[in-house]
Amino acid sequence: MNFTQQLVNGIVLGHAYALIAIGWTVLLGVARLVNFGHGQMYMLGAFVTWYGVSRLGLPYFVAIPVAMLVGVAVGYVMQRVMLQLTLKQDLVSIMIVTLGFGYVLHGAAALFFGSTGQILETPFSTKDIYWGDLWFTYQDIAIVIVAILFFAVLKYVIDRTRIGRLARMVAEDPQLAQLAGVNVRRVYLGVFAFEGAAVALAAALVAPRTPILTSMGFDEVIITFVVVVLGGIGSVTGSYVAGLALGLFTAFFGAFVSPAYATAAAFAVLIAVLVVRPGGLAVSPGGR
Amino acid sequence: MNSGIKTVLFAALAVIGFFVPTLLGGSGAVYAACVLIAIFAVMSYGLDIVVSDLGEVSLAHTVFFAVGAYTTALLSVSAGLGPVLSLAGAILMVLLVAAALGFVTLQLREFVFSLVTYAVAVVAATIAQNWDFLGGSDGLRGIPAFELSWLGFKARNDQELWPVAYLLLLVAIYLVSAFRRSKLGQAAMMVHLNQRLAVTSGVDPQRIRLQVFLVSAPITASAGWLYAYQRAYISADVLETYFLILMLTAVVVMGRRLLLGPLLGVALIQIQEKFFSFGGYVDKIILGSVLILTLAFLPNGLFGVVAPLRNLFIRRATPVGKTIPERS
Amino acid sequence: MNTRPVLEATNLRVAYGGNIALDVPRIAVRERELVGVVGANGAGKSTLVNGLLGWSRGSPKVSGKVMLDGKDMSRLPPHERVKAGLLLIPEGKLVFTQMSVEENLAASVNAPHDGQGRRHYSIDDVYTLFPRLYERRHHLGSQLSGGERQMLGIARALRLGPRALLLDEPSIGLAPRLVSTVLETVRSLVDSGLTVLLVEQNVRAAIEVVDRLVLLERGRIIAEGPASEMRDDPRIAEAYLGAHVA
Repeated sequence: MNFTQQLVNGIVLGHAYALIAIGWTVLLGVARLVNFGHGQMYMLGAFVTWYGVSRLGLPYFVAIPVAMLVGVAVGYVMQRVMLQLTLKQDLVSIMIVTLGFGYVLHGAAALFFGSTGQILETPFSTKDIYWGDLWFTYQDIAIVIVAILFFAVLKYVIDRTRIGRLARMVAEDPQLAQLAGVNVRRVYLGVFAFEGAAVALAAALVAPRTPILTSMGFDEVIITFVVVVLGGIGSVTGSYVAGLALGLFTAFFGAFVSPAYATAAAFAVLIAVLVVRPGGLAVSPGGR
Repeated sequence: MNSGIKTVLFAALAVIGFFVPTLLGGSGAVYAACVLIAIFAVMSYGLDIVVSDLGEVSLAHTVFFAVGAYTTALLSVSAGLGPVLSLAGAILMVLLVAAALGFVTLQLREFVFSLVTYAVAVVAATIAQNWDFLGGSDGLRGIPAFELSWLGFKARNDQELWPVAYLLLLVAIYLVSAFRRSKLGQAAMMVHLNQRLAVTSGVDPQRIRLQVFLVSAPITASAGWLYAYQRAYISADVLETYFLILMLTAVVVMGRRLLLGPLLGVALIQIQEKFFSFGGYVDKIILGSVLILTLAFLPNGLFGVVAPLRNLFIRRATPVGKTIPERS
Repeated sequence: MNTRPVLEATNLRVAYGGNIALDVPRIAVRERELVGVVGANGAGKSTLVNGLLGWSRGSPKVSGKVMLDGKDMSRLPPHERVKAGLLLIPEGKLVFTQMSVEENLAASVNAPHDGQGRRHYSIDDVYTLFPRLYERRHHLGSQLSGGERQMLGIARALRLGPRALLLDEPSIGLAPRLVSTVLETVRSLVDSGLTVLLVEQNVRAAIEVVDRLVLLERGRIIAEGPASEMRDDPRIAEAYLGAHVA
């Protein structure tokens, strides 16, 4: 394993992590909500894409939006059920409810897709590129490009458009936003739908890298958590940087120490950060 | 209600409770279910005081459960210790773990706190699966039967283990009720409902939280202790989300701060899973849905629906959310 | 007068967990009128204007009927009332501090058309009214002074096309000179056609600009009338103007 190869792996992994985390970043930045079902939504996105491609014979490019639509539906239903809790900002109950949703999604997915592992093959994932002694796939390139595009567009939408402004108003002060005529409920529903779509997109792109199981999703939550907290809660740019850093860390830790403990190690780093500067975790409203 | 009458009533209930498996026919399956209900209820009582009284969501209680189970397995298999010493070891070990976790999360509140505890649980599962010292993915086998030779007591099956499980359950219920009457319990409630008021009345929220954690963890760990004997082997599956969801559902489903709430909640869930199961995945959907629907639509739990009977069990109904101090 | 009031509330009651904080049988504001609500701390002034919008930072129970131009608002959520032209500038935090002045003024709901008594204020209109805001348009809300925040609050409300404006304690925390500037601005807005209900603790300053005065005590209206008459009302004069009635 040479250094440059790990660097490439780390960059790809980093963009994958950033993409996986982005839905939650916005969720936290705008609605101050957490979603413990995030990992299972990732799992669902991967399986819907897989089902579309290998069972329904859909082209990969069609299966992705289908998975995103399912993500939107799941996110919408979740938030619809939790709306009263959200308006009351009853975070304690919300956390448990999202955990419950993750559990239900796991059960439902296992029931529908079976509990055996599957491989999600895409037109890109099977095409290798050899460049000198470096190796990667077209899927890896797709992940990096889509992640960069997604972050750029998201940053633009949040900073410069009306929708982004509405979201930032709700993020800063939902009550005051009401006085500006903002339908806060709709923003909350929209943000959760976005979270569903974003994590499904991430799954459709990232899941082909590894076999998929209906029991997966826990590592994704931890990764998302580390990215979101290290990047500054709610910060889009911060998430991108943190995702990249975590990807590089994981790649090198996996190559030189132990791949089994890579997530645990990332988490250990986070714990260290939390102990050293717990105050550095203030929510920056507006999801910049 | 008069506290004297209440004590008598609870004593009567405690005696009757012991004979529940006999009354239900006394078959092996009934005893197995009852023992598991007792164990999981004890596990849930540990979480109950953190969620219901302190108002924080700890998702690391599966870790406490696992610490209890693994410590017991290691001590009894490798060191050959009996149940009393393995219980002492489990409690000591879990106090260390809880103190470490409490120290790390001292400054954190609400979702960051929950996220860290959740992450701890996920990472703990990874470690349990990969660390040979804990048996890796095979787990630890060959845990001996629960035996107190100085009493001539040996539990070879669930029926014989039932008295131990039931006693443990009573102790846990007593501890929770004593906690709620204690100064610590009152302080925890104050921190939960109005942190500002708590601080101005000289309560240190961080210290209270750490202390509640240290009371809570051994309760859950002692359930893990007995679970190790009941199952005779322990593997990383004690860290599965199932136990977390089970605990959380049990704590909220009947209504929070009901003394018998977690027990009844666990009993309902276990009865459904053992005797009215629709298969593992559907059971998952049912359990998760119960949790979601209770929190989203029944803020006072099932007991809130049958409100008139509430006064019999409840000490004081508390709203689910935090009350926001009003300004005029 | 047989013209219908622009804003009228009847049997307005607000309760916080069983404690009735406000009980007003009727309060009305007519076209182009500036009504001042005064009273001691805790008399229920803020509760009144918040209740008119069904809005609060707490969770009170509001009952009663609120009519805007004869249309029942009582069942609408706050943001719908805002869209209908009933606007509130709350006390305390009244601008988005993480946003620039310009972004605060970018209308969040689609601006209404002129007509039905609602005037559409363009961004240039509000900058003309408040040149200071133009100077500071790229500053964040958090960088503004108290007076500037008050101006921004009013300007933001104007951008939404108010039919009736509820203003909660605009003078709080302002230097005396600024207090009269803000209140005179409000007066001139009313003179140019706006309808305003103004909550004010500074009775001495308020009485100079309002048309009518409503005196609240413990959640109830205990006196109301034209400002000129109320000036001589012993309850006002003694308690708030410091005059000694012989």
